[in-house]
Amino acid sequence: MTMSDWSKVTRPIPVPNEWTKPFWDAAKQGVLALQRCQACGHFQHPPYATCVSCMATDLKFEPVTGTGAIYAYTIMYHAGDRRFAAAIPYASIIVELDDAPGALLAGNLLEAPCTEAKVGRRVEVVFQPLNDDITLPQFRLARDARSA
Amino acid sequence: MWEHRCKVAVSGVGFSRVTRSAEVPLAAHALEAVKGAVAESGLSLSDIDGLATYPELPATGHAVVDGITIVSVNCMMAMLKLPNLSWHVQVETVNIGGAVQQAVNALLAGVCTYAVVWRAMHNPRGTYQNLPGTHAQGASQFTAPYGFGGPGQGMAVAYTRWLERHNQNREKMATLAVTQRRHSHKNPHAYFHEVPLTREDYLNSRMVAYPFCLYDCDIPVQGAVAIVLTTADRARDLRPRPAYIAGYGQRLAFEVAGRIGSLSSYMEGGKSSARLTWERSGFTPHDVDVAQIYDGFSASVIYGLESYGFCKEGEALDFIQDGRMELSGELPLNTFGGSLSTGRIHGLWHIIEGALQASGRAGERQVADVNVSFVGASAPIVQGTTFIFVREPY
Repeated sequence: MTMSDWSKVTRPIPVPNEWTKPFWDAAKQGVLALQRCQACGHFQHPPYATCVSCMATDLKFEPVTGTGAIYAYTIMYHAGDRRFAAAIPYASIIVELDDAPGALLAGNLLEAPCTEAKVGRRVEVVFQPLNDDITLPQFRLARDARSA
Repeated sequence: MWEHRCKVAVSGVGFSRVTRSAEVPLAAHALEAVKGAVAESGLSLSDIDGLATYPELPATGHAVVDGITIVSVNCMMAMLKLPNLSWHVQVETVNIGGAVQQAVNALLAGVCTYAVVWRAMHNPRGTYQNLPGTHAQGASQFTAPYGFGGPGQGMAVAYTRWLERHNQNREKMATLAVTQRRHSHKNPHAYFHEVPLTREDYLNSRMVAYPFCLYDCDIPVQGAVAIVLTTADRARDLRPRPAYIAGYGQRLAFEVAGRIGSLSSYMEGGKSSARLTWERSGFTPHDVDVAQIYDGFSASVIYGLESYGFCKEGEALDFIQDGRMELSGELPLNTFGGSLSTGRIHGLWHIIEGALQASGRAGERQVADVNVSFVGASAPIVQGTTFIFVREPY
């Protein structure tokens, strides 16, 4: 199985807003930071107005370790989203981080054939600059999962 | 139990032509379906005093033009000019099942006497999910940059989670697609009424968004369906045998925007809606004689069967095997063909079939001895509603 060819893909560029700006600011520095409730300690993603666990409104972004496991995935074979047509087939994955149970991050599985995506497989974050302002957190198989 | 059980009923139902793409404006389809439902009830338009719909087009990136891409309540009012109109509503959160529930409530409140609910669905030209944008705003900023373009992928990720956590095999879904297609051969209104589908067709079809192949996805079409709802005492005086609404529910959970893939969210949505429906009607899944469960994407049926309580988690694909979902099976399922065979009209067609089965009006595909008829009218976490129709009030 060959690797997905991302070179001709024009990814839509995230537009940070008041809730999400700290996430993108951290990513630009090569840091994965998630919104954390200062009352109960719960990490959540995507960012939200309140803690989805305890309803507190005191939320701050804190760095997390970029390791976790594939929670779910799909492999796209259909070029319905023309921006991604050149990459099909490709794996879009949902990752649950070790530090943030319940927070679900989307990504692509990079540096591996898309069919390597499996629920439970260990992954680690890598950072993919899109332009001068925005860097995307992405994922690749963790070292131990790669050798397996 | 609900004090208002069996006090409102579905009377006539109506269908428009279902075509692959738009040959006439969508408003003409909606009008055809509404007039059909009113006529089948033996009523005239001047009797209709309530209107309700959910008009959304689930495609993205297309201009919304009332009468062409959607048919709103305003559009219907302008067409029908009902002389005795006294109530209308257009819902937002729980798809067409919510519009039906609002009409039930309005009838119970006595603010209208004969309500029409319709669902009209457009198939836009070109790509269904038209995503040309260079930027990703709002919740999509965490999904669109990774190629999560449409609702199918959001449903697909939960499906891989289900398959691999439960050590299941997607090939078992062929039974659902093939059996529903066979059911649709007895439904002359279905888009695929005359088109056969074999297990081999399913297994050999092209992959769209793994684990979904082509036949796991309903086909976008242009069409409309409609029902007349009225109070039970009025319904008994009309031409069709009534299908009494014994209970309903709606999902009481929702997901933070942009958080996708959570299988537990689907389960939570379905369980909450079903709990209300079982409590209000007094029935349990064991009492159900026939079920319609929304199948815009095939995996919705899994989440429905499990979260509504028809089988245990992880067992839905085994549950539908061995003839159980056949018309003569233990739980006849999606007996009109489901969206996979009728085309994408959303859950009002499931509601119609639930009512027809309860009132013994399903023709060639009528299941024998139906009293309790269950409907799950949308994907459980997304816009889920559930209903029970019965033949005899109790």
